[in-house]
Amino acid sequence: MNRTFGIGDRVTVKNATSMFHTRTQAYTRGKTGVVVEFRPDWVIPEDEAWGRDTPERGGREEPFYVVRFKQKDLWPNYTGFDVDTLETEVAQRWLDPAKENAK
Amino acid sequence: MSSSEGFDEIEYRVGNFAPVLRTPLDSPYEISNELFAALRHVLHDVGGQPDLPQPYREKVEEEWEMNAYVTCECLGWRGVWNSEERRRAENDLGATLYFGLPYYARWATVAAKVLINTGQITPDELSAKIDEVRARLEKKSA
Repeated sequence: MNRTFGIGDRVTVKNATSMFHTRTQAYTRGKTGVVVEFRPDWVIPEDEAWGRDTPERGGREEPFYVVRFKQKDLWPNYTGFDVDTLETEVAQRWLDPAKENAK
Repeated sequence: MSSSEGFDEIEYRVGNFAPVLRTPLDSPYEISNELFAALRHVLHDVGGQPDLPQPYREKVEEEWEMNAYVTCECLGWRGVWNSEERRRAENDLGATLYFGLPYYARWATVAAKVLINTGQITPDELSAKIDEVRARLEKKSA
């Protein structure tokens, strides 16, 4: 699968229904961050968790990204510094271009 | 980070003051979509959940814990499962067992279940083996 995001792109994590297993943290849903690093194509955890851990077994590989969020964007009552950030890995299927880019 | 004298004790007491806000769940006839989503929440995803400070305790790994770990890794190498399946299986234990079992007891429990699920062992074989080992250990300590 081709990468659709580049380093520096602002992305929003989809606030999609997840039936059963996922690694996309609840606190990132609907939040906007910036792509800071490419991670290799991997089988998505939603497949891997059910034994579909290789393409031969039906596992879907796709690009992953390290997305950097501002802590203040994640936690409404965050009391730390404005510059504090959190980075996490997100599969491409969970990301949308941030709406602000479209303007 | 420094803490005032008796900090842990104070936290413990404060923790016990906190009201336990809980909706009793007793197989209700109907639930809201919001409750269904909350019930489906992946248990290990605890980021942002409020909690009290825990006292730091040094704990060395015990032999049974490392045995559980190595056994689970070997099952992975032999293609019985992978670590993401283990995490899902642990979450699928449900909150009572997930938080009730020690860390590596969760691993051992779900390893046993995957071995049964994949037809490697049967529940009665596992039960008989546990009785056999228990009898052996009791004999040894007697």
